[in-house]
Amino acid sequence: MTLAQALFVVALIGVLIAVVGFGFVMIHSAARSGGGGSYLDARLLRRLQRSPKERAEFNRWAFYAHRFTGFAVFAFLCLHIVDVSLYAFSPEAFDEVHALYGWTPMRLFECVLLFAILFHTFNGLRILAIDVADLDSRASRRLFAGTLVLTALLGLSGSAIIMAPVLA
Amino acid sequence: MSTPARHKGGEFRPGDRYDVPARPAGGGRLFYYLTVRITGLLLAILVLGHFAVTHITADVAETGSDFIARRWGSLLWLLWDWAMLTAAMLHGVTGVWIMIEDYTPDPEKRRRRQRLLVSISALLFVLGLVVIAATIL
Repeated sequence: MTLAQALFVVALIGVLIAVVGFGFVMIHSAARSGGGGSYLDARLLRRLQRSPKERAEFNRWAFYAHRFTGFAVFAFLCLHIVDVSLYAFSPEAFDEVHALYGWTPMRLFECVLLFAILFHTFNGLRILAIDVADLDSRASRRLFAGTLVLTALLGLSGSAIIMAPVLA
Repeated sequence: MSTPARHKGGEFRPGDRYDVPARPAGGGRLFYYLTVRITGLLLAILVLGHFAVTHITADVAETGSDFIARRWGSLLWLLWDWAMLTAAMLHGVTGVWIMIEDYTPDPEKRRRRQRLLVSISALLFVLGLVVIAATIL
């Protein structure tokens, strides 16, 4: 591994640490602001057992997931701008670092990134649709189901394509 | 405003009033709202397109400097990447800006964190612009 590659790996680990740390900030902050925390406690389990019509719980989880994936993608973007910018200064250095993108652990990271981007995109479009078309809670719940299905389908098929060269 | 009327078990019932945490004063909410949504709509196309081109239609291992040289030979792809960079930075900075507002009650700390966010993002944005400009020139 060259110096540039080592620096990239260290920076990527830094991004992952920042994302996990942000997750803790979110959980801590949500648990502090009354009205039911984010921990999976007895109260939350009881609420989740209610009929779907009765609970708008999914909206809150959609919000958390949206915020978390948004932060994660932005954290990676900051690193990605730096690694692509190597191209303008030295194409050789860029190729060195870029070779890591074909590495199996990095491919796994790209699959996770794909899921995060897909969820954030479709849930974002859902939020936009709710405001623009003034959708009610039933329609927004259906769109959320669509968000999850599309994320799973496109994420899994995309992951299969990304992993295919190293699995074959 | 009254304090929350909590019932046994700490649950809220319909009609209960509860205190909403104070938002930092100052306008700009409409600006955040529109910026996030307009750039978000653009990014839905730009980022998914970018991901498809670099991971699905080509294998990621084949997207080295030759790939970039070929792609950036076309003004359309340069325009695509410039638009993606601009929209992503606006969207990301606005999003994280609001997260900092939500999670940093101390105004002094909040200002410091927001300043740090804007400085780092501006630096990365300029770096991206320089790379694109260097390719054209």
